[in-house]
Amino acid sequence: MKSIKDHLMFILPLMAMLIGIEFILVFNRITSSYENKLKNEYAILVVSQKNLTTPYLRSIDDNIDSVEAMNREDIAKEVTSGMQDAALAAIMKDLPYFYRVHLTSYMSLEGLKKISAELKKVNGILNVEIFGENYHSKHTIFRLVKMLLNIFIVMLFIVSIMLVIKQMQVWQLAHKDRMKIMEIFGAPMMLRSGILFKVAIIDAIIATILNMVIFLFIKSKWSQNSDIDFVKNNQDMLFNVSDFFILFVTAIVIVAISVFVVAINTREVPEG
Amino acid sequence: MASIISATNLTLAYEKGKHIIINDVTFNIEQGEFVFITGPSGSGKSTLLKSLYGQIKPREGMLNVGGFDMSRIKKKQLLQLRRNIGIVFQDYKLINEWTVEKNVVLPLIITGYSLDVQKVQAEKLLSHVKLSDQANKYPLELSGGEQQRVGVARALSKNPFLILADEPTGNLDEFSSGVVWDLLENACDQLNATVVVVTHKIPTIFNIPYRHFIIENGGVHEVH
Ligand SMILES: Nc1ncnc2c1ncn2[C@@H]1O[C@H](COP(=O)(O)OP(=O)(O)OP(=O)(O)O)[C@@H](O)[C@H]1O
Ligand SMILES: [Mg+2]
Repeated sequence: MKSIKDHLMFILPLMAMLIGIEFILVFNRITSSYENKLKNEYAILVVSQKNLTTPYLRSIDDNIDSVEAMNREDIAKEVTSGMQDAALAAIMKDLPYFYRVHLTSYMSLEGLKKISAELKKVNGILNVEIFGENYHSKHTIFRLVKMLLNIFIVMLFIVSIMLVIKQMQVWQLAHKDRMKIMEIFGAPMMLRSGILFKVAIIDAIIATILNMVIFLFIKSKWSQNSDIDFVKNNQDMLFNVSDFFILFVTAIVIVAISVFVVAINTREVPEG
Repeated sequence: MASIISATNLTLAYEKGKHIIINDVTFNIEQGEFVFITGPSGSGKSTLLKSLYGQIKPREGMLNVGGFDMSRIKKKQLLQLRRNIGIVFQDYKLINEWTVEKNVVLPLIITGYSLDVQKVQAEKLLSHVKLSDQANKYPLELSGGEQQRVGVARALSKNPFLILADEPTGNLDEFSSGVVWDLLENACDQLNATVVVVTHKIPTIFNIPYRHFIIENGGVHEVH
C-alpha cells in the first residue's frame, strides 16, 4: 500500500506536467490551424488604377503574401446588367482594378493599419479597405483565449514542479541512508542512484501511458460529441502518435533531473 | 614490508568543532599488521578511522593510505580505495531495506560480482558469524549483536586488503566476540590483510602478534 502511494506521489505531478505539455502541443496545433484558417479567409481589398503584382506589393510590405486580382468583367457586368454592350465597354475602360491582398500571418489591427497606410501611399492606388471592426473583434477574442490557456498551462507547471520537488524530498529521505552507506563502500554515483532511477523510470512510463490513454479517450469520445465544429473537424490534432515520444522523452528528462538532484544532495561532503 | 598506512604530523579537526581532535601524530602501519586502538570515549578513535577511509581530510600533515595521499585524493580514487577496504562501524550502518544476505554482499554488489558469487559468499560468511538462519531477515528484525555481526561479515566479504573495525565486539557476548576475533585474526593471518581495530577491551586470548596504540589528549602512543 505504502509503495503504491509512493509511486502515485511522483506519477501524479509527472502526469500533470505531461498533460500541460500535451495541451501545449494540441493547443499549438489547433491555434495555428485556426489562425491559418482566419488568415486565409481574410483579405485586404485594394482598388487601384494600375495593375498590381505580387512581387511589387511584397516589396512594399513583406507581410503581404499574395495578390489576387478580382475579375473586372464580373464587376462591370453586375453594374451594367440590362444595359447595352457599349455601356459595358465604356465602364470597363474607366473601371479600376480590384485586388484581394492576402497576408502571411494573422496580424493585429495595428499591423493592418500600417500596411493600409503604406498601400495608400502607392501611386495609383485609389482605396484600401481592411474591414477593421470585424477583424479586430475576432482577433482580440483569439488572442484572449490563447493567453488564458497559456496562463493555465503555466499554473499547471508551477504546481507540478512544486509537487515534484516535494517528491524529491521524500526520495531523499527514503534513499539517503542507503546511498551514503553505499558511498562509504565505494559505490560510484551511477550505482548509488541506480535503484532510485529504476523506480522513477517505471513511474515515467506509467505516467506517459496514462496520459496517452486520457488523450486518446478525449480524442475518440469527446470530440465526436462536441458541438464545436472546429474540434470535430480537426480531431487528428488532438493526439498525434509523435506526441507519445515527446511526452516520454520529457518524462525521462524530468526523472533524470530529479534523480540527479537527489544524488547530488545526498553526496558525502568530507568533514573537517 | 610496505607501509599501508603512514601518518606524518597528522592533525585532524572537524570543520565546526573548534578544538583539534588528533594533534600532530606520526605512525606507520605495515602490510599484514594487526593493530588495536584503545582510548577514552571521545578521544578521537572513530575520527582517526574516518581519516583512514577519507571521510575526514587531514587538517595538517600527511596521511597516506594504500598509496593514496588522503589530502589530495580525487573522488574517483577515493571510491576505488574504499572498494578495497572493509569497514565495521560502531553504529553498524546496515541498509534497512535490504535483507541480511544482501547487506553482507554489498561490497560484491558494488564491484559487480555475479549473483551466484554473491550467494555463495553470503552463505559462507553468514555461517562464519553464526547467522545462517537469519539470511532473509531485515536488519531491524535482528538484535544489536546480530546486526553487529552482519556488519563484520560485510566488511570481510570481499577479502579487503585493509580492515577498519570500530568496536566490532561492542555489543557482543563473550562467545560472539570470540567468533569475531577469530575471523579478524584469520583475515590477518591467512589473507595477509592489515587490520585496525578500535576496542575498549583487548581480548585476553589472542593468537597472533599485534600492536597496541592508545589515543589520548590528541596524541597517539604505541604501547610496547
Ligand atoms: N561529525 C562531528 N562533528 C564535530 N565534532 C565531532 C564529530 N564527530 C565527533 N566529533 C567530536 O570529536 C571528538 C572525538 O569523537 P570520536 O567519535 O572520534 O570519539 P571516540 O574516541 O570514537 O569515542 P567513543 O569511544 O565514544 O566512540 C568528540 O569530542 C566528538 O564530540
Ligand atoms: Mg567511536
